Amino acid sequence: MDMLLEALFSILTLEGLVTILCGVTAGLFIGALPGLTATMALAVLLPFTFTMSPLQGLMALGAVYMGAIYGGAFTAILINTPGTPSSIATTFDGYPMARQGRAYEALAAATIASVVGGIVGVAFLLLLAPPLARLAVVFGPAEMFWVALLGLTLVASLSSGSLLKGLLGGCIGMLLSTIGVSPIGGETRFIFGIPALQGGIALIVALIGLFVVPELISMAAQGRGALPESGKLQGGAGSAIGRMGRHIFGKPINLIRSCIIGQIIAIIPGAGGNVTSLVAYNEARRFSRDPASFGKGNVDGVIASESSNNVMVAGSMVPLLTLGIPGAPPDAIILGVLLMHGLRPGLDLFTETGVLTNGFILSMGFAAMFLLPVGLLGGRLIHRVVVKTPFYFLLPSIAMVTILGTYALRNSMIDVFIMLLLGTAGYFLRLIGIQAAPIVLGMILGVIAEKGYVQTMLVAVVDPIPWLRLVANPLSIVLACLVVLSVATTLLPGWLERSGRMAKVDSDEEKSP
Amino acid sequence: MTLRLNTDFAAGLFGLLFAAILWFPRESMGRLSIIFPRAILVITVALSLALIVKAFTKPAAREVTIEGNPRRLLMMIAVLFAWWYAIDLLGFLLATAIVFFGLTWYLANVEGAVSGRRLVQWVPIVAVLIGVFYLAFTEVLSVRLPTGIWS
Repeated sequence: MDMLLEALFSILTLEGLVTILCGVTAGLFIGALPGLTATMALAVLLPFTFTMSPLQGLMALGAVYMGAIYGGAFTAILINTPGTPSSIATTFDGYPMARQGRAYEALAAATIASVVGGIVGVAFLLLLAPPLARLAVVFGPAEMFWVALLGLTLVASLSSGSLLKGLLGGCIGMLLSTIGVSPIGGETRFIFGIPALQGGIALIVALIGLFVVPELISMAAQGRGALPESGKLQGGAGSAIGRMGRHIFGKPINLIRSCIIGQIIAIIPGAGGNVTSLVAYNEARRFSRDPASFGKGNVDGVIASESSNNVMVAGSMVPLLTLGIPGAPPDAIILGVLLMHGLRPGLDLFTETGVLTNGFILSMGFAAMFLLPVGLLGGRLIHRVVVKTPFYFLLPSIAMVTILGTYALRNSMIDVFIMLLLGTAGYFLRLIGIQAAPIVLGMILGVIAEKGYVQTMLVAVVDPIPWLRLVANPLSIVLACLVVLSVATTLLPGWLERSGRMAKVDSDEEKSP
Repeated sequence: MTLRLNTDFAAGLFGLLFAAILWFPRESMGRLSIIFPRAILVITVALSLALIVKAFTKPAAREVTIEGNPRRLLMMIAVLFAWWYAIDLLGFLLATAIVFFGLTWYLANVEGAVSGRRLVQWVPIVAVLIGVFYLAFTEVLSVRLPTGIWS
């Protein structure tokens, strides 16, 4: 409790609050740009935190994350283009509402839902993270190996239509993570005589390359411009906020359910905001008395999507801060910052550096609250700037910041080359069905899996069957079973469908507005 | 543009090629360093072979769609790598000024021919954009950006 109060006072300074406000505004702006994800927002703005203190840097990035996830709702509602993947479900009802002249209602609902979702996520994080951090201590090498594998199987099944391609992407990521000096053996691997590769491929370089460059290439090919005509703001802001506030809090069950769904999915390593919002949207429709109105402008769809994806922002920090496993792709950047400042996820984060950790968590709560004034008052301005910026200025600007950000990481032009190479490869891999998310998760989880696997094998060197040490205690057996269960639940629906025992769901009919 | 391509076969082939590149240099490494990559390489090969078998039995998609203009797509990739090369050669400021302006002009042509007057109007905008980020990185973040031949 003392740490919590100390943390609260450390962020309740003018500098702290201005940092959060700037972070939320910057995140909102980038998140509102179609194609720019929260991961990209964090990756692009990361270099600006290098000179900040650890707490201030984490506060800024937490606020950017919160703002970016919420910002995605703007273009989702106004021009039917999700600003971030987390806002995909927001388009289903938000855009029809805007077409009906209820843009402000949709924006107000998205804002209130995002604020509540953000605060609920922070509350969950404060309550769940410390006990989970204590649990993390009992995780040995074998358990960490299974946790890494669990994260990988989940992302492989969730991120794309093909399990095989998802797993292949994960393997490619894990192999990329092995480039450089071996964490246990200490030898250099796969550097092909290039000394600059001894340090390996930095996670952030890969993230920028795999997430930003394919979008740049795609935007250039499509010559994408702004679409100002399709998303005019109509109606009064004040009355819409009041109406939506009464609607949301008058029947809070949708909000509560969506927040709980968001939190549960957020804890699963690798599941991103797009998954949480789609699941919450689906459940809101399933429990609604008028499911047919979903997809035609039902505000409950917007509320479900936006509340759940903002719960995920803080919620996904639970596995990150306790086990070092990113709950969602943007968390990988936060992990990078933690490691850069010498902070290791686990119990120490809540004891030795408890003030910093609690300060970071609380700052996300403040960031959620700042969404209300920034989102509602700046909405019109952001809409105008974002949608009307000519793409031929936007694209070179993003490319320049991307190159600068990558170079600044280690003052290395080789890193810039690797970033461009991975990005170009990422674009073509996406075309053949191998998505960036499994590759990145493979890179993150590969390191954890390797350490766990090799350390377990070292301990078991005198055992007759060494790999049995991977399932030598109850916790590792449970985790191994979860891995098998995760793979089974992914494969089972497809098998049932193929064998004709389960009717194929017509998802197009359900999703299209 | 739509290309006829069996995506399962392409993904499987890519997996095999990627595994092959990493397979050969493994001989010189100790057991502790190779044990994990070797296991992942074996899984990668297995997954790739499974995808190739699937490509002939139950292919997922036989065509890929490249949205937009393929020439602009290739040009963008070339520009990004040229930008990287030019920074090393000419330094960040000069290379970025040339590439940024050129790329803006090239992309603006998508919406129609760009007049000389518009080009002149862009000069201060581009200068401010580059200048702000250059100063932010060099002065605020203390990052030494490449100076190329000017060093």
